Amino acid sequence: MFRLFNPGAVLSFLQSSYNVRKFVTIFTVLGLLFMTSILTGGNATAQDVLPDNVESSSALVKGLKTFWYYTGFSSVSWGNITMIVVGLFFIFLAIRFNYEPLLLVPIGTGILLGNIPFIEGFQIGIYEEGSVLNYLYFGVVKGVYPPLIFLGIGAMTDFSSLISNPRLMLLGAAAQIGVFGTFIGAMALGFEIHQAGAISIIGGADGPTAIFASSKLAPQLIGSIAIAAYSYMALVPVIQPPIIRLMTSKKERLIRMKPPRAVSKTEKILFPLIGLLLTLFISPTALPLLGMLFFGNLMKECGVTERLAETARTRMIDIVTILLGLTVGASTQANVFLTGESIKIFGLGAASFIVATAGGLLFAKIMNLFLKKDNKINPMIGAAGVSAVPDSARVVQHEGLKNDPSNHLLMHAMAPNVSGVIGSAVAAGMMLSFLM
Amino acid sequence: MIHILDAVNWPQIWVITAVGYSVVFTALVLLILVFRLMPKVLNLQMKRKLKREGKYVENHGDEEQYIAGEVNAAIGLALSLYFSEMHDDESKIITIKRVERRYSPWSSKIYNINNVLPTRR
Repeated sequence: MFRLFNPGAVLSFLQSSYNVRKFVTIFTVLGLLFMTSILTGGNATAQDVLPDNVESSSALVKGLKTFWYYTGFSSVSWGNITMIVVGLFFIFLAIRFNYEPLLLVPIGTGILLGNIPFIEGFQIGIYEEGSVLNYLYFGVVKGVYPPLIFLGIGAMTDFSSLISNPRLMLLGAAAQIGVFGTFIGAMALGFEIHQAGAISIIGGADGPTAIFASSKLAPQLIGSIAIAAYSYMALVPVIQPPIIRLMTSKKERLIRMKPPRAVSKTEKILFPLIGLLLTLFISPTALPLLGMLFFGNLMKECGVTERLAETARTRMIDIVTILLGLTVGASTQANVFLTGESIKIFGLGAASFIVATAGGLLFAKIMNLFLKKDNKINPMIGAAGVSAVPDSARVVQHEGLKNDPSNHLLMHAMAPNVSGVIGSAVAAGMMLSFLM
Repeated sequence: MIHILDAVNWPQIWVITAVGYSVVFTALVLLILVFRLMPKVLNLQMKRKLKREGKYVENHGDEEQYIAGEVNAAIGLALSLYFSEMHDDESKIITIKRVERRYSPWSSKIYNINNVLPTRR
Protein backbone atom coordinates (compact mmCIF):
# COMPACT_ATOMS: atom_id res chain seq x y z
CA MET A 1 0.00 0.00 0.00
CA PHE A 2 1.28 3.39 -0.93
CA ARG A 3 1.35 5.93 1.90
CA LEU A 4 1.35 9.63 1.24
CA PHE A 5 2.50 10.66 4.67
CA ASN A 6 5.13 8.84 6.62
CA PRO A 7 5.34 10.28 10.19
CA GLY A 8 8.36 8.14 11.00
CA ALA A 9 10.36 9.71 8.18
CA VAL A 10 9.39 13.25 9.29
CA LEU A 11 10.43 12.48 12.83
CA SER A 12 13.79 11.12 11.77
CA PHE A 13 14.29 14.22 9.60
CA LEU A 14 13.58 16.52 12.54
CA GLN A 15 15.73 14.47 14.83
CA SER A 16 18.80 15.04 12.79
CA SER A 17 20.11 18.24 14.40
CA TYR A 18 21.69 19.55 11.22
CA ASN A 19 18.44 19.50 9.36
CA VAL A 20 16.66 21.11 12.27
CA ARG A 21 19.07 24.01 12.28
CA LYS A 22 18.71 24.42 8.52
CA PHE A 23 14.96 24.43 8.83
CA VAL A 24 14.96 26.99 11.63
CA THR A 25 17.25 29.31 9.65
CA ILE A 26 15.09 29.21 6.53
CA PHE A 27 12.01 29.74 8.62
CA THR A 28 13.55 32.76 10.41
CA VAL A 29 14.62 34.38 7.13
CA LEU A 30 11.20 33.93 5.61
CA GLY A 31 9.60 35.26 8.79
CA LEU A 32 11.83 38.34 8.67
CA LEU A 33 10.90 38.97 5.03
CA PHE A 34 7.25 38.64 5.91
CA MET A 35 7.69 41.07 8.83
CA THR A 36 9.38 43.56 6.49
CA SER A 37 6.44 43.47 4.15
CA ILE A 38 4.06 44.10 7.03
CA LEU A 39 6.15 46.96 8.45
CA THR A 40 6.54 48.67 5.07
CA GLY A 41 2.83 48.24 4.48
CA GLY A 42 3.22 46.69 1.11
CA ASN A 43 3.60 43.40 -0.51
CA ALA A 44 7.34 43.25 -0.14
CA THR A 45 9.01 40.23 -1.53
CA ALA A 46 12.53 38.90 -1.42
CA GLN A 47 13.14 40.57 -4.79
CA ASP A 48 12.23 43.95 -3.27
CA VAL A 49 14.60 43.62 -0.35
CA LEU A 50 17.54 42.40 -2.37
CA PRO A 51 18.57 44.66 -5.29
CA ASP A 52 18.26 43.52 -8.83
CA ASN A 53 20.50 40.63 -9.61
CA VAL A 54 22.27 42.25 -12.57
CA GLU A 55 22.77 45.61 -10.84
CA SER A 56 24.17 43.97 -7.73
CA SER A 57 26.86 42.16 -9.64
CA SER A 58 27.98 45.34 -11.43
CA ALA A 59 28.08 47.35 -8.16
CA LEU A 60 30.02 44.58 -6.51
CA VAL A 61 32.51 44.43 -9.36
CA LYS A 62 32.79 48.20 -9.33
CA GLY A 63 33.43 48.20 -5.58
CA LEU A 64 35.97 45.45 -5.86
CA LYS A 65 37.64 47.24 -8.75
CA THR A 66 37.88 50.44 -6.72
CA PHE A 67 39.26 48.49 -3.80
CA TRP A 68 41.82 46.81 -6.08
CA TYR A 69 42.75 50.18 -7.54
CA TYR A 70 43.53 51.51 -4.09
CA THR A 71 45.58 48.50 -2.97
CA GLY A 72 49.30 48.42 -3.47
CA PHE A 73 49.02 45.37 -5.75
CA SER A 74 47.40 47.28 -8.60
CA SER A 75 50.19 49.82 -9.04
CA VAL A 76 53.23 47.82 -7.94
CA SER A 77 56.22 48.02 -10.22
CA TRP A 78 59.36 45.93 -10.53
CA GLY A 79 61.23 48.90 -9.11
CA ASN A 80 59.15 48.77 -5.93
CA ILE A 81 59.71 45.04 -5.60
CA THR A 82 63.47 45.45 -6.11
CA MET A 83 63.65 48.14 -3.46
CA ILE A 84 61.54 46.10 -1.03
CA VAL A 85 64.00 43.23 -1.49
CA VAL A 86 66.87 45.68 -0.82
CA GLY A 87 65.08 46.89 2.33
CA LEU A 88 64.57 43.35 3.55
CA PHE A 89 68.23 42.60 2.78
CA PHE A 90 69.31 45.57 4.92
CA ILE A 91 67.18 44.34 7.80
CA PHE A 92 68.62 40.85 7.33
CA LEU A 93 72.20 42.20 7.36
CA ALA A 94 71.51 44.15 10.54
CA ILE A 95 69.86 41.29 12.42
CA ARG A 96 71.92 38.36 11.14
CA PHE A 97 75.40 39.92 10.91
CA ASN A 98 74.94 42.84 13.31
CA TYR A 99 76.18 45.33 10.66
CA GLU A 100 75.29 48.76 12.07
CA PRO A 101 71.85 47.57 13.22
CA LEU A 102 70.96 50.97 14.67
CA LEU A 103 71.14 52.40 11.16
CA LEU A 104 70.23 49.53 8.89
CA VAL A 105 67.01 48.54 10.69
CA PRO A 106 65.46 52.05 10.44
CA ILE A 107 66.79 52.52 6.88
CA GLY A 108 65.59 49.06 5.80
CA THR A 109 62.15 49.67 7.27
CA GLY A 110 62.13 53.11 5.66
CA ILE A 111 62.84 51.52 2.28
CA LEU A 112 59.83 49.23 2.78
CA LEU A 113 57.66 52.22 3.73
CA GLY A 114 58.85 54.27 0.79
CA ASN A 115 58.18 51.53 -1.71
CA ILE A 116 54.67 50.48 -0.81
CA PRO A 117 52.81 51.60 -3.95
CA PHE A 118 49.97 54.04 -3.29
CA ILE A 119 47.64 56.35 -5.18
CA GLU A 120 49.02 59.86 -5.15
CA GLY A 121 47.00 62.81 -3.91
CA PHE A 122 46.16 61.58 -0.42
CA GLN A 123 49.20 63.00 1.39
CA ILE A 124 50.77 59.61 2.02
CA GLY A 125 54.12 59.53 0.23
CA ILE A 126 57.32 61.15 1.44
CA TYR A 127 57.45 63.44 -1.59
CA GLU A 128 53.82 64.59 -1.19
CA GLU A 129 53.56 67.93 0.49
CA GLY A 130 51.74 67.80 3.80
CA SER A 131 52.22 64.09 4.46
CA VAL A 132 53.57 62.93 7.81
CA LEU A 133 56.66 61.43 6.20
CA ASN A 134 57.18 64.65 4.28
CA TYR A 135 57.21 66.62 7.53
CA LEU A 136 59.74 64.24 9.02
CA TYR A 137 61.79 64.37 5.80
CA PHE A 138 62.02 68.14 6.25
CA GLY A 139 64.79 67.51 8.81
CA VAL A 140 66.82 65.73 6.12
CA VAL A 141 66.13 68.15 3.28
CA LYS A 142 66.99 71.20 5.36
CA GLY A 143 69.95 69.51 7.05
CA VAL A 144 68.48 69.64 10.58
CA TYR A 145 69.24 66.08 11.65
CA PRO A 146 72.98 65.84 10.82
CA PRO A 147 74.07 68.61 13.23
CA LEU A 148 71.95 67.04 15.98
CA ILE A 149 73.66 63.72 15.34
CA PHE A 150 77.00 65.53 15.57
CA LEU A 151 75.96 66.99 18.93
CA GLY A 152 75.40 63.46 20.20
CA ILE A 153 78.67 62.21 18.70
CA GLY A 154 80.53 65.09 20.39
CA ALA A 155 78.91 64.23 23.72
CA MET A 156 79.95 60.59 23.47
CA THR A 157 83.46 60.93 22.03
CA ASP A 158 86.55 60.91 24.18
CA PHE A 159 89.19 62.98 22.42
CA SER A 160 91.92 62.17 24.95
CA SER A 161 93.81 59.77 22.65
CA LEU A 162 93.90 62.56 20.07
CA ILE A 163 95.07 65.15 22.61
CA SER A 164 97.78 62.83 23.94
CA ASN A 165 99.16 62.10 20.49
CA PRO A 166 98.15 65.00 18.23
CA ARG A 167 100.36 63.96 15.29
CA LEU A 168 97.90 61.11 14.61
CA MET A 169 95.48 63.80 13.43
CA LEU A 170 97.43 63.85 10.17
CA LEU A 171 96.06 60.40 9.37
CA GLY A 172 92.52 61.73 9.63
CA ALA A 173 93.48 64.48 7.20
CA ALA A 174 95.20 62.06 4.83
CA ALA A 175 92.14 59.83 4.57
CA GLN A 176 90.18 62.79 3.22
CA ILE A 177 91.85 62.00 -0.10
CA GLY A 178 88.75 59.83 -0.48
CA VAL A 179 86.57 62.96 -0.61
CA PHE A 180 88.62 64.77 -3.21
CA GLY A 181 89.31 61.63 -5.21
CA THR A 182 85.57 60.96 -5.42
CA PHE A 183 85.00 64.56 -6.48
CA ILE A 184 87.31 64.11 -9.45
CA GLY A 185 85.77 60.69 -10.17
CA ALA A 186 82.23 62.08 -10.09
CA MET A 187 83.19 64.89 -12.47
CA ALA A 188 84.77 62.34 -14.80
CA LEU A 189 81.56 60.28 -14.74
CA GLY A 190 79.64 63.27 -16.01
CA PHE A 191 77.96 64.55 -12.87
CA GLU A 192 77.19 68.24 -12.58
CA ILE A 193 79.70 70.04 -10.33
CA HIS A 194 77.27 70.53 -7.39
CA GLN A 195 76.22 66.91 -7.56
CA ALA A 196 79.88 65.85 -7.69
CA GLY A 197 80.58 67.93 -4.57
CA ALA A 198 77.72 66.26 -2.72
CA ILE A 199 78.73 62.76 -3.85
CA SER A 200 82.36 63.35 -2.88
CA ILE A 201 81.50 63.51 0.83
CA ILE A 202 80.66 59.78 0.75
CA GLY A 203 84.48 59.43 0.64
CA GLY A 204 84.61 60.94 4.13
CA ALA A 205 82.71 57.83 5.33
CA ASP A 206 80.53 60.09 7.38
CA GLY A 207 76.78 59.64 6.91
CA PRO A 208 75.52 62.83 8.62
CA THR A 209 78.10 65.01 6.82
CA ALA A 210 77.21 63.44 3.46
CA ILE A 211 73.50 64.10 4.06
CA PHE A 212 74.22 67.65 5.20
CA ALA A 213 76.33 68.44 2.15
CA SER A 214 73.88 66.89 -0.30
CA SER A 215 70.93 68.71 1.30
CA LYS A 216 72.71 71.94 0.38
CA LEU A 217 74.33 70.99 -2.92
CA ALA A 218 72.14 68.36 -4.58
CA PRO A 219 68.88 67.73 -2.68
CA GLN A 220 67.59 65.43 -5.43
CA LEU A 221 70.43 62.98 -4.71
CA ILE A 222 70.03 62.81 -0.92
CA GLY A 223 68.44 59.36 -1.00
CA SER A 224 71.13 57.74 -3.12
CA ILE A 225 74.00 59.49 -1.33
CA ALA A 226 72.70 58.67 2.14
CA ILE A 227 72.00 55.05 1.29
CA ALA A 228 75.44 54.68 -0.32
CA ALA A 229 77.22 56.33 2.63
CA TYR A 230 75.41 54.34 5.28
CA SER A 231 75.64 51.05 3.42
CA TYR A 232 79.39 51.36 3.03
CA MET A 233 79.72 52.52 6.65
CA ALA A 234 77.91 49.35 7.67
CA LEU A 235 80.23 47.37 5.43
CA VAL A 236 83.45 48.83 6.89
CA PRO A 237 84.25 45.50 8.61
CA VAL A 238 84.05 43.84 5.18
CA ILE A 239 85.73 46.48 3.00
CA GLN A 240 88.69 47.52 5.15
CA PRO A 241 90.46 44.33 6.32
CA PRO A 242 91.51 43.14 2.82
CA ILE A 243 92.90 46.60 1.98
CA ILE A 244 94.76 46.72 5.31
CA ARG A 245 96.29 43.29 4.67
CA LEU A 246 97.15 44.21 1.10
CA MET A 247 98.93 47.43 1.98
CA THR A 248 100.83 46.47 5.13
CA SER A 249 103.46 43.85 5.80
CA LYS A 250 103.24 41.37 8.67
CA LYS A 251 106.15 43.15 10.38
CA GLU A 252 104.37 46.49 10.17
CA ARG A 253 101.18 45.02 11.56
CA LEU A 254 103.09 43.81 14.63
CA ILE A 255 104.40 47.27 15.58
CA ARG A 256 103.54 48.13 19.16
CA MET A 257 102.84 51.73 19.96
CA LYS A 258 103.61 53.59 23.16
CA PRO A 259 100.64 53.82 25.48
CA PRO A 260 99.05 57.27 25.29
CA ARG A 261 99.92 59.66 28.11
CA ALA A 262 97.31 60.74 30.63
CA VAL A 263 95.48 63.89 29.58
CA SER A 264 94.55 66.52 32.14
CA LYS A 265 91.02 67.79 32.57
CA THR A 266 92.09 71.30 31.51
CA GLU A 267 93.35 69.93 28.20
CA LYS A 268 90.12 68.06 27.65
CA ILE A 269 88.06 71.20 28.29
CA LEU A 270 90.31 73.36 26.12
CA PHE A 271 90.16 70.93 23.18
CA PRO A 272 86.57 71.61 22.09
CA LEU A 273 86.95 75.34 22.63
CA ILE A 274 90.19 75.66 20.65
CA GLY A 275 89.01 73.16 18.05
CA LEU A 276 85.76 75.03 17.55
CA LEU A 277 87.38 78.44 17.16
CA LEU A 278 90.26 77.27 15.00
CA THR A 279 88.42 75.03 12.56
CA LEU A 280 85.41 77.29 12.19
CA PHE A 281 87.52 80.36 11.52
CA ILE A 282 89.16 78.37 8.73
CA SER A 283 85.97 76.84 7.36
CA PRO A 284 82.87 78.71 8.62
CA THR A 285 80.59 76.71 6.29
CA ALA A 286 81.15 73.67 8.50
CA LEU A 287 79.68 75.61 11.43
CA PRO A 288 76.47 73.59 11.92
CA LEU A 289 78.41 70.32 12.01
CA LEU A 290 81.63 71.20 13.82
CA GLY A 291 79.91 73.73 16.09
CA MET A 292 77.57 71.04 17.34
CA LEU A 293 80.34 68.42 17.57
CA PHE A 294 82.54 70.58 19.77
CA PHE A 295 79.57 71.88 21.77
CA GLY A 296 78.57 68.30 22.56
CA ASN A 297 82.14 67.51 23.60
CA LEU A 298 82.33 70.61 25.80
CA MET A 299 79.15 69.51 27.58
CA LYS A 300 80.77 66.14 28.20
CA GLU A 301 84.14 67.38 29.39
CA CYS A 302 83.30 70.52 31.38
CA GLY A 303 81.87 68.39 34.19
CA VAL A 304 78.99 70.71 35.07
CA THR A 305 76.52 69.78 32.34
CA GLU A 306 76.56 66.04 32.69
CA ARG A 307 72.77 65.86 32.47
CA LEU A 308 72.71 67.65 29.11
CA ALA A 309 75.58 65.56 27.77
CA GLU A 310 73.81 62.40 28.91
CA THR A 311 70.65 63.40 27.04
CA ALA A 312 72.58 64.39 23.92
CA ARG A 313 74.50 61.13 23.73
CA THR A 314 71.56 58.85 24.52
CA ARG A 315 67.92 59.88 24.01
CA MET A 316 68.48 62.72 21.61
CA ILE A 317 70.85 60.98 19.23
CA ASP A 318 68.60 57.91 19.35
CA ILE A 319 65.50 59.91 18.41
CA VAL A 320 67.30 61.70 15.59
CA THR A 321 68.82 58.43 14.34
CA ILE A 322 65.36 56.84 14.17
CA LEU A 323 63.92 59.80 12.24
CA LEU A 324 66.93 60.15 9.98
CA GLY A 325 67.20 56.44 9.18
CA LEU A 326 63.50 56.02 8.54
CA THR A 327 63.09 59.07 6.32
CA VAL A 328 66.30 58.48 4.38
CA GLY A 329 65.12 54.93 3.78
CA ALA A 330 61.67 56.11 2.74
CA SER A 331 63.18 58.62 0.33
CA THR A 332 64.28 55.73 -1.90
CA GLN A 333 60.95 55.55 -3.69
CA ALA A 334 61.72 53.38 -6.73
CA ASN A 335 60.66 55.96 -9.34
CA VAL A 336 63.04 58.53 -7.80
CA PHE A 337 65.81 56.23 -6.63
CA LEU A 338 66.30 53.55 -9.28
CA THR A 339 68.21 55.56 -11.84
CA GLY A 340 71.53 55.25 -13.60
CA GLU A 341 72.84 58.03 -11.36
CA SER A 342 72.23 55.95 -8.22
CA ILE A 343 74.23 53.07 -9.65
CA LYS A 344 77.09 55.43 -10.48
CA ILE A 345 76.90 56.89 -6.95
CA PHE A 346 77.12 53.40 -5.47
CA GLY A 347 80.16 52.65 -7.61
CA LEU A 348 81.81 55.91 -6.62
CA GLY A 349 81.01 55.25 -2.96
CA ALA A 350 82.79 51.89 -3.01
CA ALA A 351 85.80 53.39 -4.78
CA SER A 352 85.93 56.33 -2.38
CA PHE A 353 85.99 54.05 0.68
CA ILE A 354 88.85 52.08 -0.80
CA VAL A 355 90.78 55.24 -1.75
CA ALA A 356 90.24 56.80 1.70
CA THR A 357 91.41 53.67 3.52
CA ALA A 358 94.41 53.31 1.24
CA GLY A 359 95.23 57.02 1.66
CA GLY A 360 95.30 56.70 5.44
CA LEU A 361 97.43 53.55 5.35
CA LEU A 362 99.89 55.04 2.88
CA PHE A 363 100.28 58.23 4.88
CA ALA A 364 100.94 56.22 8.05
CA LYS A 365 103.70 54.34 6.22
CA ILE A 366 105.18 57.63 5.00
CA MET A 367 105.05 59.04 8.55
CA ASN A 368 106.95 55.99 9.80
CA LEU A 369 109.84 56.88 7.47
CA PHE A 370 110.40 60.05 9.49
CA LEU A 371 109.82 58.69 12.97
CA LYS A 372 112.40 57.29 15.39
CA LYS A 373 112.60 53.52 15.70
CA ASP A 374 111.11 53.42 19.18
CA ASN A 375 108.34 55.85 18.31
CA LYS A 376 106.91 54.31 15.16
CA ILE A 377 103.20 54.02 14.55
CA ASN A 378 101.38 50.91 13.47
CA PRO A 379 100.34 51.77 9.90
CA MET A 380 97.07 49.90 10.34
CA ILE A 381 95.70 52.83 12.35
CA GLY A 382 95.86 54.88 9.14
CA ALA A 383 92.80 52.94 7.98
CA ALA A 384 90.89 54.45 10.88
CA GLY A 385 91.36 57.88 9.30
CA VAL A 386 88.01 57.43 7.56
CA SER A 387 85.49 58.87 9.91
CA ALA A 388 83.23 55.87 10.41
CA VAL A 389 83.31 56.18 14.21
CA PRO A 390 84.02 53.83 15.90
CA ASP A 391 83.70 51.07 13.32
CA SER A 392 86.98 51.56 11.52
CA ALA A 393 88.85 51.87 14.84
CA ARG A 394 87.23 48.60 15.86
CA VAL A 395 88.35 47.00 12.59
CA VAL A 396 91.94 48.10 13.27
CA GLN A 397 91.78 46.74 16.83
CA HIS A 398 90.45 43.44 15.49
CA GLU A 399 93.14 43.20 12.84
CA GLY A 400 95.79 44.10 15.42
CA LEU A 401 94.63 41.32 17.73
CA LYS A 402 94.64 38.84 14.85
CA ASN A 403 98.35 39.49 14.33
CA ASP A 404 99.32 39.82 17.98
CA PRO A 405 96.71 38.93 20.62
CA SER A 406 98.27 41.33 23.13
CA ASN A 407 98.55 44.37 20.85
CA HIS A 408 95.58 46.59 21.56
CA LEU A 409 95.35 49.38 19.00
CA LEU A 410 91.86 50.69 19.77
CA MET A 411 92.95 53.75 21.74
CA HIS A 412 95.53 54.69 19.10
CA ALA A 413 93.08 54.12 16.25
CA MET A 414 90.48 56.34 17.88
CA ALA A 415 92.74 59.36 17.36
CA PRO A 416 92.73 59.26 13.51
CA ASN A 417 89.12 58.13 13.64
CA VAL A 418 87.84 61.21 15.46
CA SER A 419 90.17 63.51 13.56
CA GLY A 420 88.62 61.96 10.43
CA VAL A 421 85.26 63.26 11.64
CA ILE A 422 86.72 66.75 12.00
CA GLY A 423 88.53 66.41 8.67
CA SER A 424 85.47 65.29 6.73
CA ALA A 425 83.39 68.10 8.22
CA VAL A 426 86.06 70.63 7.20
CA ALA A 427 86.19 69.03 3.72
CA ALA A 428 82.39 69.28 3.45
CA GLY A 429 82.62 72.89 4.53
CA MET A 430 85.19 73.53 1.82
CA MET A 431 82.98 71.92 -0.81
CA LEU A 432 80.05 74.04 0.33
CA SER A 433 82.02 77.26 0.28
CA PHE A 434 83.38 76.52 -3.21
CA LEU A 435 80.15 75.34 -4.76
CA MET A 436 77.26 77.12 -3.06
CA MET B 1 80.40 65.78 -30.83
CA ILE B 2 81.99 67.19 -27.72
CA HIS B 3 83.11 64.53 -25.29
CA ILE B 4 81.58 64.83 -21.84
CA LEU B 5 84.99 65.26 -20.21
CA ASP B 6 85.85 68.13 -22.53
CA ALA B 7 82.87 70.09 -21.23
CA VAL B 8 84.19 69.97 -17.66
CA ASN B 9 86.17 72.94 -16.46
CA TRP B 10 89.10 70.82 -15.28
CA PRO B 11 91.33 73.65 -14.03
CA GLN B 12 88.53 74.64 -11.64
CA ILE B 13 88.20 71.04 -10.42
CA TRP B 14 91.94 70.77 -9.75
CA VAL B 15 91.90 74.08 -7.87
CA ILE B 16 88.99 72.99 -5.68
CA THR B 17 90.71 69.67 -4.99
CA ALA B 18 94.10 71.17 -4.20
CA VAL B 19 92.80 74.03 -2.09
CA GLY B 20 90.20 71.88 -0.33
CA TYR B 21 92.69 69.17 0.58
CA SER B 22 95.30 71.65 1.75
CA VAL B 23 92.75 73.48 3.91
CA VAL B 24 91.77 70.19 5.59
CA PHE B 25 95.45 69.53 6.25
CA THR B 26 96.07 73.09 7.45
CA ALA B 27 93.17 72.98 9.91
CA LEU B 28 94.35 69.73 11.42
CA VAL B 29 98.05 70.72 11.39
CA LEU B 30 97.13 73.89 13.31
CA LEU B 31 95.26 71.78 15.83
CA ILE B 32 98.33 69.53 16.13
CA LEU B 33 100.59 72.50 16.78
CA VAL B 34 98.25 73.91 19.41
CA PHE B 35 97.92 70.60 21.18
CA ARG B 36 101.63 69.89 21.10
CA LEU B 37 102.22 73.25 22.68
CA MET B 38 99.44 73.12 25.21
CA PRO B 39 100.91 70.56 27.66
CA LYS B 40 104.14 72.57 27.70
CA VAL B 41 102.26 75.78 28.57
CA LEU B 42 100.23 74.02 31.22
CA ASN B 43 103.37 72.38 32.68
CA LEU B 44 105.11 75.74 32.71
CA GLN B 45 102.40 77.17 34.94
CA MET B 46 102.61 74.15 37.21
CA LYS B 47 106.42 74.48 37.32
CA ARG B 48 106.15 78.14 38.35
CA LYS B 49 103.66 77.30 41.05
CA LEU B 50 105.84 74.50 42.40
CA LYS B 51 108.93 76.72 42.29
CA ARG B 52 107.09 79.38 44.28
CA GLU B 53 106.21 76.79 46.86
CA GLY B 54 109.77 75.41 46.78
CA LYS B 55 108.66 71.90 45.83
CA TYR B 56 110.09 71.82 42.36
CA VAL B 57 112.73 69.24 41.55
CA GLU B 58 114.63 69.74 38.29
CA ASN B 59 114.51 66.75 35.98
CA HIS B 60 117.89 66.45 34.32
CA GLY B 61 117.46 63.01 32.79
CA ASP B 62 116.30 62.32 29.27
CA GLU B 63 113.47 60.35 30.72
CA GLU B 64 110.16 61.17 29.09
CA GLN B 65 107.62 62.83 31.27
CA TYR B 66 104.67 60.61 30.77
CA ILE B 67 103.10 57.87 32.75
CA ALA B 68 102.14 54.67 31.01
CA GLY B 69 98.48 53.73 30.76
CA GLU B 70 98.87 50.65 32.97
CA VAL B 71 100.50 52.70 35.74
CA ASN B 72 97.72 55.25 35.48
CA ALA B 73 95.13 52.53 35.71
CA ALA B 74 96.79 51.10 38.83
CA ILE B 75 96.99 54.54 40.49
CA GLY B 76 93.39 55.24 39.50
CA LEU B 77 92.22 51.95 40.99
CA ALA B 78 94.12 52.52 44.22
CA LEU B 79 92.70 56.03 44.60
CA SER B 80 89.22 54.86 43.77
CA LEU B 81 89.42 52.07 46.35
CA TYR B 82 90.83 54.46 48.92
CA PHE B 83 88.15 57.09 48.43
CA SER B 84 85.27 54.70 48.21
CA GLU B 85 86.67 52.80 51.25
CA MET B 86 86.31 49.42 49.70
CA HIS B 87 89.36 48.05 51.48
CA ASP B 88 89.59 45.25 53.98
CA ASP B 89 88.22 47.16 56.94
CA GLU B 90 85.50 45.16 58.59
CA SER B 91 83.08 46.02 61.34
CA LYS B 92 85.19 44.47 64.16
CA ILE B 93 82.11 42.99 65.85
CA ILE B 94 82.63 39.27 65.95
CA THR B 95 79.72 37.02 66.64
CA ILE B 96 79.68 33.27 66.44
CA LYS B 97 76.48 32.05 65.04
CA ARG B 98 75.55 28.51 65.90
CA VAL B 99 74.16 26.71 62.99
CA GLU B 100 71.84 23.92 63.90
CA ARG B 101 70.27 21.55 61.50
CA ARG B 102 67.41 19.26 62.19
CA TYR B 103 68.33 15.61 62.23
CA SER B 104 67.28 13.86 59.13
CA PRO B 105 67.80 10.20 58.35
CA TRP B 106 68.20 11.13 54.66
CA SER B 107 71.55 12.69 55.38
CA SER B 108 72.45 10.80 58.51
CA LYS B 109 75.76 9.50 57.16
CA ILE B 110 77.23 12.98 57.04
CA TYR B 111 76.82 13.23 60.84
CA ASN B 112 78.99 10.17 61.31
CA ILE B 113 81.66 11.68 59.10
CA ASN B 114 81.61 15.01 60.89
CA ASN B 115 81.22 13.29 64.23
CA VAL B 116 78.66 15.85 65.26
CA LEU B 117 75.20 14.69 65.88
CA PRO B 118 72.54 17.37 65.84
CA THR B 119 70.18 17.41 68.73
CA ARG B 120 67.00 15.53 68.14
CA ARG B 121 63.92 17.54 68.80
